Amino acid sequence: MKSRLVLIGMCALLMFGAIYIIGTSLYEERKAAAPATVATNPVSSIPIERGVFARSAEALLYQEMPESQKGLEAYYQNRAYPGAPPIIPHQLISEKGIGGKNCLQCHQNGGYVEQFSAFAPITPHPDLLNCMQCHVPQKTNLAFQATNWEKMAAADIHQVAMPGAPPVIPHDLDMRNNCLSCHAGPSAPKEIRVSHPERVNCRQCHLPRTTPDIFTKPVQENATFKRPGGDEMGYSEQKLDNAEVSQISEWIKNENQ
Amino acid sequence: MAAASMFPGIVFPKDQIVGQTNGAINWKKTPCRFCGVGCGLLVGVSDGKAVAVKGDPASPVNKGLCCVKGYHSVMALYASDRLTKPYIRRNGKLQEATMKEALDLIAEKMKTIIQEHGKDAVSIYGSGQWTIPDGYVASKLFKGAIGTNNVEANARVCMASAVTGFITSFGMDEPMGCYEDFDHADVFVLWGNNMAEMHPVLFSRMLDQRLKRDVKIIDLATRTTRTSAAADRTILFKPQTDLAIANAICYEIIHNGWMNDDFVRNHCVVKSGKTNIGYGTEDHFKFKDEPKASSLAELKHFLEDYKPEKVEELTGVSAKDIKYLASLYGNPNKKVMSLWCMGMNQHTRGTWINNLVYNIHLLTGKISTPGNSPFSLTGQPSACGTVREVGTLTHKLPHGVVMNEKHRKIAADIWKVPVERIPSKPTYHTVEMFRALDRGEIKFMWIQVTNPMVTIPNLNRYRDATKKDDRFIVVSDVYPTPTTDIADVILPAAMWIEREGMYGNSERRTQHFEQMLQPPGEAMSDTWQLIEVARRLGYEKLFPWTEENHVEKIWEEYSRFHEGAKHGIAPYEVLKERSGVQWPYVNGKETKWRYHSKYDPACEKEGYDFYGKPEGKAWIWIRPYEAPAESPDRDYPFWLNTGRVLEHWHTGSMTRRVPVLHQAVPSAYVELHPADAKALNVVNGDLVKLASRRGEIVLRASVDERGQPTRGQVFVPFFDEGYLINELTLDAFCPISKEPDYKKCAVKVEKYLG
Repeated sequence: MKSRLVLIGMCALLMFGAIYIIGTSLYEERKAAAPATVATNPVSSIPIERGVFARSAEALLYQEMPESQKGLEAYYQNRAYPGAPPIIPHQLISEKGIGGKNCLQCHQNGGYVEQFSAFAPITPHPDLLNCMQCHVPQKTNLAFQATNWEKMAAADIHQVAMPGAPPVIPHDLDMRNNCLSCHAGPSAPKEIRVSHPERVNCRQCHLPRTTPDIFTKPVQENATFKRPGGDEMGYSEQKLDNAEVSQISEWIKNENQ
Repeated sequence: MAAASMFPGIVFPKDQIVGQTNGAINWKKTPCRFCGVGCGLLVGVSDGKAVAVKGDPASPVNKGLCCVKGYHSVMALYASDRLTKPYIRRNGKLQEATMKEALDLIAEKMKTIIQEHGKDAVSIYGSGQWTIPDGYVASKLFKGAIGTNNVEANARVCMASAVTGFITSFGMDEPMGCYEDFDHADVFVLWGNNMAEMHPVLFSRMLDQRLKRDVKIIDLATRTTRTSAAADRTILFKPQTDLAIANAICYEIIHNGWMNDDFVRNHCVVKSGKTNIGYGTEDHFKFKDEPKASSLAELKHFLEDYKPEKVEELTGVSAKDIKYLASLYGNPNKKVMSLWCMGMNQHTRGTWINNLVYNIHLLTGKISTPGNSPFSLTGQPSACGTVREVGTLTHKLPHGVVMNEKHRKIAADIWKVPVERIPSKPTYHTVEMFRALDRGEIKFMWIQVTNPMVTIPNLNRYRDATKKDDRFIVVSDVYPTPTTDIADVILPAAMWIEREGMYGNSERRTQHFEQMLQPPGEAMSDTWQLIEVARRLGYEKLFPWTEENHVEKIWEEYSRFHEGAKHGIAPYEVLKERSGVQWPYVNGKETKWRYHSKYDPACEKEGYDFYGKPEGKAWIWIRPYEAPAESPDRDYPFWLNTGRVLEHWHTGSMTRRVPVLHQAVPSAYVELHPADAKALNVVNGDLVKLASRRGEIVLRASVDERGQPTRGQVFVPFFDEGYLINELTLDAFCPISKEPDYKKCAVKVEKYLG
C-alpha cells in the first residue's frame, strides 16, 4: 500500500515537473521572440570620454591571448537588465571594506584566476573604488517575494548602416567608456571580442547612438528675408491669402488641361 | 529576409527602424526613490513599463553615478504581491473592497470620531517619503480644514535633532552648504556616519577627490565599518561620548589659539541652556529649554572640564587622537567638512551634539563658504522637502510654527480658512502620538508611506496599542507590511514614478518627477487619497483641483508660503525642466551657500550674516556631556546599536522585493566583536539570543564579516521584518527634538541553544 502511494506520488511529481518545464520553455521562447529594444536617449548628452584610452598600452598583447569561452548569454545572466551593474558571481575575498584593492587585484588588469578556473573580467572604471556600492554578491537563490519584472532583451550586436560599415555601439556608455575592458582580451565574451584591439581609438569608427532622431531640414517657409533693393528687382515681399492661393492653383489646373 | 541571409550578421536599416519604434526606450528624469542624497536617475520606459535605469549625467548630485539600490530601484515596482486593491477589516479579517467603499468608510469614521471624541482624536502619521504635494495636502487637511495639530511624520525619528540643531544655532533649518563642498574641502570628519554604505554616491565623490588631491577622511565611530576601511584614520569612541569629544575639540581650539577671534566676535553669541533634561521615557513628558545669555569667558571656564586628558577615560579616545582632530579643525589652511546622519540625530542629546559640532565650525569660522561646511545628511528622499519644508510636524506650518500668531495668519490666508481653525498649541510628537493612541486619546490614525510596526522603538507596546478595541487605523502602502497587518483599511498607493511629485534632498534641492507609468489596479497617489477623503468630509472648496492639474496647482499655492530671498522656491516650469533646483531660488538663481553675502542674496550686511537669528549672529551653545538613558549593567551588559546596510533601505519593504538586493543580504543578523563571540562560545552563523528589558529576539551571529562593533556592543540592522529589533529598543528621546535614540540601549547576549 505504502509503495503504491509513493509510486503515485512520484508520477504526480513527474507530471508537475513536466508541466513546469514545458511552461517555462514556452515562456522563454516567447520572450526570445520579443523584438530587441534599442536604447535611445532623448535627453541629449554626449557620452563622457573618461577612460576611453585606458588599457591601450596592452592592446597589442591582446592578440596573443587565448579566446574566452564565455558568451554573451552568460554576460547578461548576472545583470538585472542590459546596462545594470553585474552582481558578484563568486565568493568574496573579504566581507569587509568597500572592495577597492580586493577587487582590483583581479579586475583591474584581468588574467587567469585559478580559484575560479576563469579569466577575470576587467572593470571599465577602476577609478571608482567603492565597488560594493553597485556590485553585490548573492547569498541565496531565493526571492523574498516573486517578481513580475520583465528583463528586456539586449540590443542586437553588429548593427551597421550598410554592408561593410563599422558597427555602431548599441549600448549606453555610462560607466563603460573604456571599450577594451569588455571587448578585448581573454575575458571578453566571444561574440563581442574585437578583431583589431590595436586600433585603440575605437570611437573613431564606432559611434554610440545618443538620439533616435535623424537630422532633416525642411525648407522653411518663414525663412524669408529681403535682399537690399529687392523691390526694384520685382521680388517684393507679398503674402498671399488662402483665396489667392486657391485662385492660383485653379489657374494652373486650367493651364495644364 | 533573403537579403539578411545573404549578409549574415548585418541588421538592415529597415529592421533597425522597426526595432526602434516598437521597443524604443524613453528616458525620463527623476530623483531616486530611496535615500536623502537625491541622486538624479534616468528611468528607461518601454511599452508602459520601466525597464532600465542609469545615472543622470545632468544631475549635479551624482553626475551619472548611482548605487546598487538606485540602479535596481525600478524593480521595486514589480513584485508579485503589489497591493492593487483596497482592503477593509470585517469581522477581524482583511477583505477586498472597492476604492469607493474604502474612502467612504474612512471619511465616515473620521466624522463620527471627531463628533464623539473631538478633533484631536484623529491623526495622520506620514513620512519623509511623502512627496511635497502629499505632505502639503495632509497639513492643509488636518491643520487647516479639520483643525488639529495631530500631524506627524517618521522624519521625527530620523532628523528632528538636525532641525532643532539648526534652529537653536542658526534660527533657520537646513544646511548652509551643499554637495559642492565635497569638491573644495581638505578634511572630511564623519561623525558616527557609515557613509560608504548609507550615502555611497557622496562617499564615492569624496574618494574621487582623494585620488585627485590631498584630502583626509576621518571616521569617528562606535563601530568599524566599510567607511573605516576606506578612511585615512578611524577613531573609535564609546557610545554617547561624542558630546565630550566635541567639547574637548573646542577646548583645544581655544587653548591653542586656533580660534578665529574676528569671526567669533562679529558673528557669534554664546548661550547656555538647561541641563539634566531627562529622557522622555515616561508618558506626558514635557520639556522646554530656556536659552540664557552667556559669554566666551563662561564657555572657556566650562570647557576646563573637557581637557582631552580628562575625557580620555569617558570617551575611550586618547588625548593624542582628540588633539589630532582639533588640529585638523584648527589649521587655518584646511577647509573642513563635518558630516553626520543618524549617529548624531538618533541620540538622547541629539540637539546638543548638533549644536556642539556647529560650535567647532563657528569657533574656527569654517562655515558658509565653499568647503567649510558642517553638513547634516538625511536618510529619506524628501525628509527635507516635505517634512521640514512643508512642515508636517505637530508644531509646524509650511511657513513657521503654530505657536506664532503671524504664521497662523499667513497659513489661514493662503488656505482660505478662518485663522481660529488652526490651533495654537502643538499636540503630540511621534512617540507621544503612539502613546496617546495607546492611552485612547487618539482613536484614528492614518499612516502613509511608512512602516511604523517595524520602526517604532519599544515596538511591543505600540503594536498592542494599534490593536485596541475602538481604534481605527488606515494604512496607505504599496506592499503588505507588518503595518498593513494591523490596519482596518488598507489603501493601495501609487508608487514614485506612477504619479507626479517632487522630493527635496539634503542640499536644499527640489526635484520634480512626472508620471511615467500607470499605477497597478486601483492604486492611487497618497495626495489624491487625501483629497478624496477631504471632499467626503465637506472640504471640496479647499481642494478644488483636478487629477490632471493638482500637482501644479498645489505647487503654486505652496510657493506662496516661501516667497522672498530666504526661502524662495523655483516655479513649476523650471522644476519640470531641470534635474533639481536649489532654494533659496532668487531672481532665477540658486543659492549654494547661505549666510554669506558673496553667495546669498538674502544677506543684508557685507560678509557673514546669520539672518535666521534676530541679532544676525549664530549661537554658540554651552552643552555638557550627559549619560544615555540606559547603559549596560550587570543584567544587560551589552550596548545594542541598530542601523542600515547598503543593500536595503529602511524596513526593506521595497528593497527586499528586488531580487538582486534580497539575494545579497537575505536576512538580518547580529554583529559581534570577535572577542565577545569567543567569550560567548559563538562562531559565525550560530544563533544568538538578544534580550532587553522590553523584548527578545533570536538571530544569526555575524562575526568578522562586514562590520565589527567595539567590544561590549552588538549591532543589528532593522530592515528585516522577520527579526523586529525595535521590540528591544528603548523609546527614550532627545527632550528638545523628541527624536528617539535607536543607537543605545542595554541588552544581554547569549548563545541560543534551541
